[in-house]
Amino acid sequence: MQDAVLAMLAKEPSYGYHLRARLRRALGPLGESMNQGQIYVTLARLEKAGFVVCERSDGLPDRADRKVYALTPAGQRRVAAWLAEVGWPKPDLAEFHLKLVAAAAARLADPVELVAAQRRELLRRLREVQQAALAEPEGSAAVLLEGVMLRLRADLRWLAACERAWSSGDAGGATTVGATAGDEDGDEDGDENDEVEGG
Amino acid sequence: MGSFVLVVRLVLADVRRHRAQAAMLLLAVTVATATMALGLSLRGVSEALYEQTRAATAGPDVVALSGDTGPAVTSALASLADDPEVIAHHGPYRIVYADLTTHGSGRSPAVASGVVVHGFAETPGTVNRPLVTSGGWVRPGGAVVERGFAEALGIGVGDRVTIAGRSYLVVGIAVTAATSIYPWAAQIGPYGGPSDSSGLVWLTRSDARTLAGRDLPVTTAMDLKLRDPAAAEAFVEAFSDAHRDPAARVNLHTWQFMATQDTVILRNSQPILVVGSWLLGFLAVTGVAALAAGRAVEQTRRAGLLKAVGATPGLIATVLVTEYLALALVGDAVGLAIARLTVPGIASPTASRIGDAAGPGGATVAAATVLAVTVAVLSTLRPALRAMRTATVTALAAAAHQPRHRPLLTALSALLPTPLLLGLRLTARRPGRAVLQACSTATTVIATVALLTVYSQKERGYGLNGSSVLPNLRGELDRRLMLAVTILLIALAVVNTVTLTWTTAMEARANMAVARTLGATPGQIAAGLSAAQVLPALLGAMAGVPLGIGVCGLFSARNTIMPPVSWMLAAALVTLLVTAAFTALPARLAARRPVARALSAEAA
Amino acid sequence: MNGSDAVPNPVAGPVAGPVAEIRGLVKEHGQGQGRVRAVDDVDLEVPRGQTLAVMGPSGCGKSTLLHLLGGLERPTRGEVWLAGRRVDTLSERALARLRRRSVGFVFQAFHLMEELTAAENVELPVLLAGRSPREARRRASLLLERVGLAARARHLPSRLSGGQRQRVAIARALANEPPIVLADEPTGNLDTAATLDVLRIFEDLRTAGQTLVIVTHDERVAATADRLVSMRDGMFVDDTRLTGSSSRGLGGLIEWES
Repeated sequence: MQDAVLAMLAKEPSYGYHLRARLRRALGPLGESMNQGQIYVTLARLEKAGFVVCERSDGLPDRADRKVYALTPAGQRRVAAWLAEVGWPKPDLAEFHLKLVAAAAARLADPVELVAAQRRELLRRLREVQQAALAEPEGSAAVLLEGVMLRLRADLRWLAACERAWSSGDAGGATTVGATAGDEDGDEDGDENDEVEGG
Repeated sequence: MGSFVLVVRLVLADVRRHRAQAAMLLLAVTVATATMALGLSLRGVSEALYEQTRAATAGPDVVALSGDTGPAVTSALASLADDPEVIAHHGPYRIVYADLTTHGSGRSPAVASGVVVHGFAETPGTVNRPLVTSGGWVRPGGAVVERGFAEALGIGVGDRVTIAGRSYLVVGIAVTAATSIYPWAAQIGPYGGPSDSSGLVWLTRSDARTLAGRDLPVTTAMDLKLRDPAAAEAFVEAFSDAHRDPAARVNLHTWQFMATQDTVILRNSQPILVVGSWLLGFLAVTGVAALAAGRAVEQTRRAGLLKAVGATPGLIATVLVTEYLALALVGDAVGLAIARLTVPGIASPTASRIGDAAGPGGATVAAATVLAVTVAVLSTLRPALRAMRTATVTALAAAAHQPRHRPLLTALSALLPTPLLLGLRLTARRPGRAVLQACSTATTVIATVALLTVYSQKERGYGLNGSSVLPNLRGELDRRLMLAVTILLIALAVVNTVTLTWTTAMEARANMAVARTLGATPGQIAAGLSAAQVLPALLGAMAGVPLGIGVCGLFSARNTIMPPVSWMLAAALVTLLVTAAFTALPARLAARRPVARALSAEAA
Repeated sequence: MNGSDAVPNPVAGPVAGPVAEIRGLVKEHGQGQGRVRAVDDVDLEVPRGQTLAVMGPSGCGKSTLLHLLGGLERPTRGEVWLAGRRVDTLSERALARLRRRSVGFVFQAFHLMEELTAAENVELPVLLAGRSPREARRRASLLLERVGLAARARHLPSRLSGGQRQRVAIARALANEPPIVLADEPTGNLDTAATLDVLRIFEDLRTAGQTLVIVTHDERVAATADRLVSMRDGMFVDDTRLTGSSSRGLGGLIEWES
């Protein structure tokens, strides 16, 4: 999140609370949980690293919310590097996959049950995001919500694939459930969507 | 050549796929052309039969009939025989007007009829030699009965008849071309007055003389053979100009006149058949058009496919029209064959003539073919034009033809109970089909009104003093033909109604399924489908009554008795009820289909 | 059932208890060897005001379940109760009457009448229920307003987009204020934007307390529901309440590494 905060400062020097408001506006409902403290902790770390300088307003008491933060040249370089970067968060499915394998191997739990529980959880999250999205007017925050929903739906489809693999009772099949299964699943579901329910 | 093969292949494939439709077109065209050919052939066939009888019986070119006897008449007739134009003659002979009574037997009751007795030599001469069709020729005490008369009386050789109180043995049955057909054998009445229906019996000269001695009316006749039979009319005119002696009035009947007289018995048959064939043709068009409309989407898509692979609009039109045309021409041929087989029975309702009917004449064949082609073209014109005009891509993607919004009918129907609401909206959805149904019903009602008119005529029987012991053959023929035409019309109309209802039901099945999910009961759906046909049928029936009266007025004699209005209204009502009944079955079947399946079928 | 012309509150129906209930429901298609159990001994209760989604792969029997619930098909065995009445034993006629007032259907293929305008489509069930044309017009304009199509009331379906058509269909389903609305793949033929429009309406219905059963295989659609039932091979394999917060809340979806 450090990079994002730096980039927000690139427009103009800004108060901490002002910065937080801008971040929350951009994130929409997802930014609601962000508290005052988090932004100042981040800014303090950036100041320590020399990316940000802090200018105190004259004649005012020395309080964090009265400081104006600005980028240093090093900070500007870091922002430029961040924008050029094409890194992408990796979906970490391996952990859940290993949870299933381990549970099955040690007979700790029924993998199908684990999948179902996980699915319920994801569906609840999807519901929340969906409700937020439906309440949100069109805009940058809505696009973000859309992205979160798409990720959740992809995860739900992968869970459906896990369920199929584990409920078939084929232990060997469990080891093959991985990235490939996830890919296939996406295609399969796409086809299903086009089909007409025969009733 | 390649495109010819293509056309044939496409046509055959389509006929194979739509057998019911092909069969219906074939049937409708056959019925219509047969009726028309029959109607148009009647006159020609009647004349042909007269000609054949004339040839077989040495029929006279002119028959001289005098309403009286006496020296003046005898000299007038003698002068005729001496005319240089006359090359042979027969007579003069006596014609005695009497009553004839049969004795009756188990099969046929005793009947009485007027009769004219011709006194003939026991050996026939060169002119007017009646052809004996069974038994022998006259002998003392033995009578020969004209075949048409014998048939009406139900007697044959060996039976006895009583003429003016004297009993005679029937020794033979014969036909002649010298008199009109039964029951107009008298041709003129005694003393030149009008004649009643009567048959013809031959006796020997002496038997006839004996009969005449009993104070019965007697006239004299003579049969003439002319040098130039074709000039008979001119001969008669010349004679009439030369002999204006009121004391010895002689009526001359040419053979052409007698041939025409034969067709008097067909006076009503021809309009019944010809107008009937128009109506049948019309119903054929409505029925086939209804079926074709049901396939319009498919046809349009087919045309789109053909266009996509490079067929010209002309070729597409050829394919579409050829199918109907070919079927119509086959129907035409079958219809003409049927007409050929049935025409002698209808053209000669009495047995007074012999011979075979030739096939329908060129003009008749042409007219029937025009009818068949018209049916084919009218039925296929709209789909063909639409298929040709629609752009290829649109045609390929052709969904069911987009029904138009009819705000007025829709708003009006909102005020009605559910079945009528659904029915009126279905009608609004397919106004063309409603028009077809209305026309179909109107046609049925027209035919029914005509049938009622024919049946309400007071017929004078052919028995003595108009007794109906001997039925009026002309009336019988009219009734039979009218009944047959009406039955055919009703049959086609029923097929049309069922077809229209079913097509409507099939096209509306998705909408009706939706209506059921909205809470319409199957009964309401069925009633709605019925109403969609019955509403236009109501208009058709209402129009049919005045139209029927008009058609009857156009073709019937001035003294025609119209059936009571209440009958006609009852006929219209019955037609409506029957229409409702015939729509009920397909409507019920369609309404019973499971909703869920209809909806999934639509979605797929 | 409700004879007055007044618009009743959809929440407060005449009967207490679940709006829809099925017990031991079995539906078999086909005969002999080819016999298939589309719905295999299923029990379900839909309380008043609940939004229930039924999910499952194609052919799992979810559409059949919906048809059985709405009385469009008859069960092979078991009971179906709707608005306090047992419907599987009703005659077709009685069933139709019940549907008129008690069930609204929304279909994947919209199933609007092509020759009627949007408003006339919405009026149709009101007229079928025997109400006056005036009342039908009034309701149609209210409902089209509610689904945001007041400006297109006089358009024919052919001039509306897929999403607009489905909104008309929803308005039609609501026309008689039925205690329950059944939707079968309502977004199956729609693109993302149109789906969102429809989901907004469903969300609106849910907050208004309309009982709603949605069959879908779109997770987004299922996620608008209060409760999710998963079906496989004609049986329920999962029944989840989606209400109540997930373990982390919305904000938890963003990792904040300071």
